[in-house]
Amino acid sequence: MLSFSEEIVLLLLDETNGDFVPLPESVFAIVMSGAALMDLALHNRVDSDLEKLTVVDRTPLGDNILDDVLAGLGRKGAKLAIVDALFDVAANAEEYRSRALARLIARGILKQEKGRHLWVFRTRRYPVIDDSEQQEVRARLRQLLLSDEIPDPRDVVLVCLIDACALVKFVLSADELDVASPRVEQLRKLDLIGQAVTKAASETEAIIKFAATTM
Amino acid sequence: MDITQERDGDVVVVRLMGRLNSSAAPAAEERLLAAVAGAAPSVAIDMSELSYISSAGLRVILVAAKKVQQEKGKLALGGLGANVREVFAATGFDTIITIAADAAAAIAAVR
Repeated sequence: MLSFSEEIVLLLLDETNGDFVPLPESVFAIVMSGAALMDLALHNRVDSDLEKLTVVDRTPLGDNILDDVLAGLGRKGAKLAIVDALFDVAANAEEYRSRALARLIARGILKQEKGRHLWVFRTRRYPVIDDSEQQEVRARLRQLLLSDEIPDPRDVVLVCLIDACALVKFVLSADELDVASPRVEQLRKLDLIGQAVTKAASETEAIIKFAATTM
Repeated sequence: MDITQERDGDVVVVRLMGRLNSSAAPAAEERLLAAVAGAAPSVAIDMSELSYISSAGLRVILVAAKKVQQEKGKLALGGLGANVREVFAATGFDTIITIAADAAAAIAAVR
């Protein structure tokens, strides 16, 4: 099973060309951070309530992203505001993306292609070799979003993550999205860390848009 | 935390007492999944003595509720105290799971 960090990196890749879909780096960082924190929660390493996130078990998992995040949280203290934990982990998001990409390549899901843009700038693309994971996740989420099915905790996390980086449009058609918007909102609320991710991502996007319109 | 289970006619009544957090969640999940096992289960969870629920506890409830739905059964929660009710409202759990005023009402809701 893929980690949420791997899942979201995979879902952010455009399978037609191997490029990442457009997303502000700061929003991406929040989403990667949320993915790691929610993974740690499902592994019973952190727990949360309406006020705080608590490190409840510092035992490493043998995962080079989650163990790094867990150790960092442990150094910060046993209890943190969820949003503080989110931004703290987000500072290392680029490194975690590199590790997630390396793992997806090692698993034979992606390959890396290096090239140049305008003969000068080095570029990297990550064409998908095996898209069965992407297709399976999208199909499962589509069914969940278009039904009254009670989700399992993993699917709640994925809904939070894809909503925070505006990927729901790649799961549902425009007409389906109109109908399913209340359902997306219902599901993304179910996880407290997910709520913090949604709020931080939308506030960050709003700041970026405001800055763009006032410059 | 403590968990007890009894039957009220066809209804399985589970009582959760104390704090349902990450340390209590694995055992609680095991007990709840055993309680909801079988075809079309009718399950009422009495939360009147549950003082605290964390995200890990909410996931236990979610997993049990999903199992009941898959088995085409009924699940209702009753007797939520103010703290627990606040968490259910903030996370929208009260929009996907039947919440009754007390244990008797939860039992009636699934009968």
